[in-house]
Amino acid sequence: MSNPNGGGTMKCTRPIDPAMLADYWIGIMAAPEEEAVEMHLFECDHCGDRLRQVIGLAGGIRKLAREGSLRMIVSDVFLQRVAESGIAVREYRIPPGGSVECTVTAEDDILIGRVAANLSGAKRVDMCICNENGIEQLRLRDIPVHSGRTSVAFQESITYLKSAPSMKMVMRLVGFDDEGSEQLLGEYTFNHTRSLPGPGAW
Amino acid sequence: MSIELNDAELVLQIGSGDQNAEAELFRRMAPRVRLYGLRHLRDEAAADDLTQMVLMTTIEALRARRLREPEKLAHFVLGTCRVTVLDQRRGVQRKERILERFGPDLVKPPAMSTPYLDHDQLTRCVQNLRERERTVVVMTFFDEQTGADVAGFLGVSEANLRVIRHRAIHELRKCMEGAA
Repeated sequence: MSNPNGGGTMKCTRPIDPAMLADYWIGIMAAPEEEAVEMHLFECDHCGDRLRQVIGLAGGIRKLAREGSLRMIVSDVFLQRVAESGIAVREYRIPPGGSVECTVTAEDDILIGRVAANLSGAKRVDMCICNENGIEQLRLRDIPVHSGRTSVAFQESITYLKSAPSMKMVMRLVGFDDEGSEQLLGEYTFNHTRSLPGPGAW
Repeated sequence: MSIELNDAELVLQIGSGDQNAEAELFRRMAPRVRLYGLRHLRDEAAADDLTQMVLMTTIEALRARRLREPEKLAHFVLGTCRVTVLDQRRGVQRKERILERFGPDLVKPPAMSTPYLDHDQLTRCVQNLRERERTVVVMTFFDEQTGADVAGFLGVSEANLRVIRHRAIHELRKCMEGAA
């Protein structure tokens, strides 16, 4: 919106949606759409402020990604770019039914558990994080995988694991077919040994 | 000093040699030019340089009364931004020419305020997103991966990816505003 005073400080009556501003920021708009957004931004400081918020949000998310403190499923391309940017990635690979001895050190930035599974036929896949007795503690529902893949790369919060005592964590992948019935795709055991100074237990 | 002039009046005042009007032009346009610079140059120092170059070029044009339609100041400044960035990409040394012409009189762009972001709250908000949404926003913003990369990983179309990304951004904003 154009401010009659030219200062652009009035509240905008047609503010640009923040998601559109994010599209503009990451440069994926078609040229005519981008030009329209830019013209609006040159006449409206209200939307300029909203864009600054989106830029701040994008920067905050980038920082979170670099810290490795999020629990999330990641792609190989993401891990490759993370490594290229100088972030230290520690990765453990584990087959269905397998177990692995694992740890994190002060030098690690991101921790990945790569679990192998046959995902073909699964319409939806959940990841269940269980305690040492196999009792489900947390379920990540409908994780971003598709049936063509043979493994899932899971990023565990390194902030959490750097402070965690030695422990066993069981992880399960469960798939759902067209009828919605649940099927175990794989169970994986991580035997975490604390290698940083700290308490022996929670 | 704040001057309640519209863009056309501002242009005319600068044309008549009013230095306060020039200062107002800087105050009004510098944040917009800098945002443009951040978007296209991806570098704060480069965006600051662009701001100086574009505004000095603009002031020079306005002092010489070369803007035929004063009410189109914003169009003119945006156009100057586009030409300057294109010139930079072509390697044209406009910066040196402008520095030579204006020398020590060059006005430093005003400092921009960055919105405060509660990092802990953002962590909670990102962690509360659905799994696909979290993966999409992190992969998107970490190094601005292309839609094709992320869509390929999720096994969805780029149109569907856009829907997921937009929903995630709305969720994040709602979550961050709710905590403010």
